[in-house]
Amino acid sequence: MTTTDIRPSGQPDEPEAPTNRPPSMHRVKMWLRRPYARGILVLTVVIGFLLLPLCWLLLAAMNQTGAPASPIMRDIEQTVFVFTLISIPITAFVFAVLVYSLLGWKHISGDEVPADQSPAIRSNTIGVVMWTAVSSLLAFFLVVWGLVELAQITANSYGTIPADEQPGDSQALIVNVTGQQWVWTFEYPQYDGITSETLYLAKDRPVYFNVTSKDVIHNFWAVELGVKIDANPGAITQTGVTPDKLGNFNVRCAELCGMHHAYMETGIQVLEKKDFNSWAREMGGGKTA
Amino acid sequence: MSTATATANVFGSEVPQPAQHGQPGGIMRRLNFVTGLIGGLALATIAGVVTNILTPSGASTATFAPAAPDYVYLAVLLGWVIGFMAGMGAFVGPIRWLLGRDITHADAEYLAGKDLGWKRYWKFTTDHKVVGVQYLIMVMIILGFGGLLAMLIRTELGVTWAEVFSPSFYNSIIGTHGIAMIIGMIIVVMGPIANFIVPIMIGARDMAFPRLNALSLWLLVAATPCLISSLFQGGVQDGWSVYQPLASQGPPGMLGYQMTIIVFAFSTGVASVNLMVTTLTMRAKGMTWSRTPILVYGVFAAALMGLYAFPFYQYSQILAMSDRIFNTSFFDPLEGGSVWLYENLFWLLGHPEVYVIIIPSAAVLMEILPVFYRKPLFSFNFAVAGIVGVVALSGLVWAHHMYMTGWAPAVNYPFMLSTEMISIPVGFLVLVAIGTMWRGVVWTRLPVMAIYAVIFNKMIGGVTGIYLSDVPVDQYMHGSMFVVAHFHYMLMGAGLFGAMGGVAFYFSKMTGRMLDERAGSIGLWTAFVGFQITFGSMFVAGLQGQPRRVLQFDSLFNISNWISTIGAYIIGIGMLIFLGAIISSWMYGEKATSNPFGSKSLEWQTPTPVPLENFAVLPVVTEKPYDYGVPDPYQKELAAVDGDFDTQKVGSQS
Amino acid sequence: MSAETHQPLSPTTGEPMTTIARRAKAGLWTLIVMDVSGTLALIISYTYLWSLNVNGGWAPPGASLTDAQTNAVPAKSSATFAADWPFWAIFGIVVLATIAMWFGYREGKRGNHAGLIVGAGAALLISIGGLVAQWMQISTFPFGAGNGAYASAVLLLCASNIFHFLMLIFLLTGIFNRARKGLINKSVYFQAQLMSYWMVWICIAFLLGALCTTFLQVSPNTDPAIFGTFQQQQ
Repeated sequence: MTTTDIRPSGQPDEPEAPTNRPPSMHRVKMWLRRPYARGILVLTVVIGFLLLPLCWLLLAAMNQTGAPASPIMRDIEQTVFVFTLISIPITAFVFAVLVYSLLGWKHISGDEVPADQSPAIRSNTIGVVMWTAVSSLLAFFLVVWGLVELAQITANSYGTIPADEQPGDSQALIVNVTGQQWVWTFEYPQYDGITSETLYLAKDRPVYFNVTSKDVIHNFWAVELGVKIDANPGAITQTGVTPDKLGNFNVRCAELCGMHHAYMETGIQVLEKKDFNSWAREMGGGKTA
Repeated sequence: MSTATATANVFGSEVPQPAQHGQPGGIMRRLNFVTGLIGGLALATIAGVVTNILTPSGASTATFAPAAPDYVYLAVLLGWVIGFMAGMGAFVGPIRWLLGRDITHADAEYLAGKDLGWKRYWKFTTDHKVVGVQYLIMVMIILGFGGLLAMLIRTELGVTWAEVFSPSFYNSIIGTHGIAMIIGMIIVVMGPIANFIVPIMIGARDMAFPRLNALSLWLLVAATPCLISSLFQGGVQDGWSVYQPLASQGPPGMLGYQMTIIVFAFSTGVASVNLMVTTLTMRAKGMTWSRTPILVYGVFAAALMGLYAFPFYQYSQILAMSDRIFNTSFFDPLEGGSVWLYENLFWLLGHPEVYVIIIPSAAVLMEILPVFYRKPLFSFNFAVAGIVGVVALSGLVWAHHMYMTGWAPAVNYPFMLSTEMISIPVGFLVLVAIGTMWRGVVWTRLPVMAIYAVIFNKMIGGVTGIYLSDVPVDQYMHGSMFVVAHFHYMLMGAGLFGAMGGVAFYFSKMTGRMLDERAGSIGLWTAFVGFQITFGSMFVAGLQGQPRRVLQFDSLFNISNWISTIGAYIIGIGMLIFLGAIISSWMYGEKATSNPFGSKSLEWQTPTPVPLENFAVLPVVTEKPYDYGVPDPYQKELAAVDGDFDTQKVGSQS
Repeated sequence: MSAETHQPLSPTTGEPMTTIARRAKAGLWTLIVMDVSGTLALIISYTYLWSLNVNGGWAPPGASLTDAQTNAVPAKSSATFAADWPFWAIFGIVVLATIAMWFGYREGKRGNHAGLIVGAGAALLISIGGLVAQWMQISTFPFGAGNGAYASAVLLLCASNIFHFLMLIFLLTGIFNRARKGLINKSVYFQAQLMSYWMVWICIAFLLGALCTTFLQVSPNTDPAIFGTFQQQQ
């Protein structure tokens, strides 16, 4: 292939590149001069902006009953926000290609097999490399984010809170949760083992749940607190959270457990610490632990 | 009766034949669907009656229910399956092998349905083209059954002010809908298209083991009444995953589910064996792996995943059945059983299975795109890498379905890693698709228009999957309607719409008639619109906090459910229109030419209808596939600027 | 079978039998993968339940190390772990049958047709003996199906063994018969070859079961949680 030193008119003289290759920005500019390249990029940006409100809308849907009511739920919402945000560029780009394919490049209808008109591109190294790099980076970011976040949540919920990070009252509340068809029972071993069918919690006091079932698998889901763990027959599972908002919230069963699975719900009442203590005393439980 | 040294003309050469016992086909001449039904019903009745007599009247199961209905129903199911398969002639082959009465060429031709006309569709026919059409019928029946149940589900959820069905019936229909759809989706591409098209596409005359092909189909036919009958025995009253120990509380219908899976697992196992060996050993001369169409890769990958994973599901049901009938305690925690054992065995299949559904559908689309964009498939190697990557990782992600079970919190970390990683090879397939569409002039026929629906749905499904793969987010989303919407976007939005495109594409080759594309398009796009309404709204319900598998719920979720139900009816109308298009085109459509879409692939170089032996002379392949397109007009510009350095390769090199 | 001057061809498709043999070998590998998965499902069940000892219900009631077993089963029971040696004896029988079949296959390949028949026949007889032995082991187990997770896992492993034996007997009958009829011979011996390969896998399957039942008997989890409560067993 002969080398023809063709430069588009109007370009100032640039220093000779060390190889035969024109500088990369030049190639990018050349590519951008193609109408479809600009069209798709513009479409990507437009679609991206159209998708952007989703980041907030998703959270709005989650927050209709008082969420977030704990740091874990806030973490979850932040993750949903960030994941949505970083998914938008690739999604918008793919959608842009779909749209441009119908509106930008030609299309043919009819019954006759059309003559070949499309460029016979079998591969494009730059495109493949960029896609792999971007998707791998994104995946890597998601993984690191997820691992760090999971470690944080685990540290704060499986009984390993360092003492100096425990807010106020240094003793965590322990609640034994029993699921059975089709009722939740909460037992407070630190308070003479009083039981209740509504979950009473104290604001800003960490609570550790021990969960089991007496018959089939249920799933203990404290919705606005962002906490969920299966209630398994024959095993005791653990989770934990620190509620940081007063109010009434929901426990729902999130694993099909028979006929009245739909009705296996109950309430959470997050009270001020002193109100919680009064409730416990009223129920007949002096603090024993 | 000829002597042992007789020869026959087999595709042009004289080949020595074993002794011909009787007429060609032997006893298979007398066996067909009717004898199968008779055999099945007879043996079922006998088994049921005998079991009833032998069961002591006071016998009860481990859960203190009367045992007789369980034992009798199980005996009926076993009798049905064995009797039906015997009546179809499935055992004739093995028995002949045992006795050393090998089949002759004339026998083989009879078995392949030569000169039998329409009757060959009602017999144990080995011709892969017949089996493909039979699978297409079964798929429509099973998906139709699942679809009907879906309409019932959405009706219940839409009628928020009353209970349309009792809770136990509702629990049954959601579980039965789930398993029917899963079975239907596993076979929707692997059945009709892999069986009919792939052997021709690779230049072979049939599959490696033609009698196994017929066996896999008729096992599926035997399994289907097992599932449908469960509805009449109290239903399964559990989700499609039939988690223990809830499943053991279920009525006898649960045995119907278990038997369905046990039989279906043999069906898919045998089909996997056949497909894998066929694609490995029977490609035409000259069809090296780089000249093999991508559909073959996709089908092989799905067969491989099904092969290693399905036995786990099958055994989970065998163990569950054993718990129920023999009072073992695999899953009974009171006596040492573990619910986590069930979940692990189940999800060891449950996850690869979704790739068994998605990969063939994606591969069919990658087969369709070049034909309608008249452009080579973009980066064939990347497509293969994507498929290989998915297969490699598919067996390492199953416990992301178990993040919330508490079985081993420490392993949530590696499973989160592997699950996020698998999005990369899946993303390769999206790149290949949009790369093929890039700068392509599209011929807007129905098969390719499906790609737009598929990629749109695949992106939504994929991104929502990313949320679910994150363990903390899963603490909110697991067990909610968000998960249901996610997997419907993947399996139905991407999987089913892709399969519909594939069926539309291969319709003319399989049935000899052109599909009415106007009606088909109206059906597909109506269903697409309904799909967005139904499952978009379902995401909202999930985010709001609606658990799954509930028939009544907080009034907070009313609006999302009303909208979803309206969307579901729209899907139903759209799917009925599409189904109507298929049926009416099949019966009255315009006769098809042999290659209406101008495809360069081998299967379109045969006449329609395809002759019994596929090719008069076996082809020899000399070129890469997808040889479409014209040189890139930008190539001159690039060459002029680049000089010797050319990173964008164009033309038909790889 | 007439005298051929060239390689034997398949009567149905006209392809050389070596091609058919290659295909059948590939098919055998896929079938082995399927059976490996299924056997692994049982092995996983055994080992996972052994490690968990849910509600103390792993060991048969009469062999339990803890005082109170389950809520439902009475503590006094004669159900105990099974003896080790029968598992190994049956494994030995399967190995013998495999050796016999290999011998038959090798001899057949060398042209010693009588050796092929003797090998296949011996393998068949030994397998029938193995089936009987396995049945006897099951019927003399010191526990029943309802005696906990160990009992359940062992019984299903033995059921899988029975299933494998039945399959072996069917296949070996066919090999023996076909060898007698000359359908397996020096030029076309792949079915004997594949049978030998298959039987090696069967040996491995039986071995895995024997290893589990011998070395994984008493559960390492000595204080499982008591069902339905939040306490551990003492």
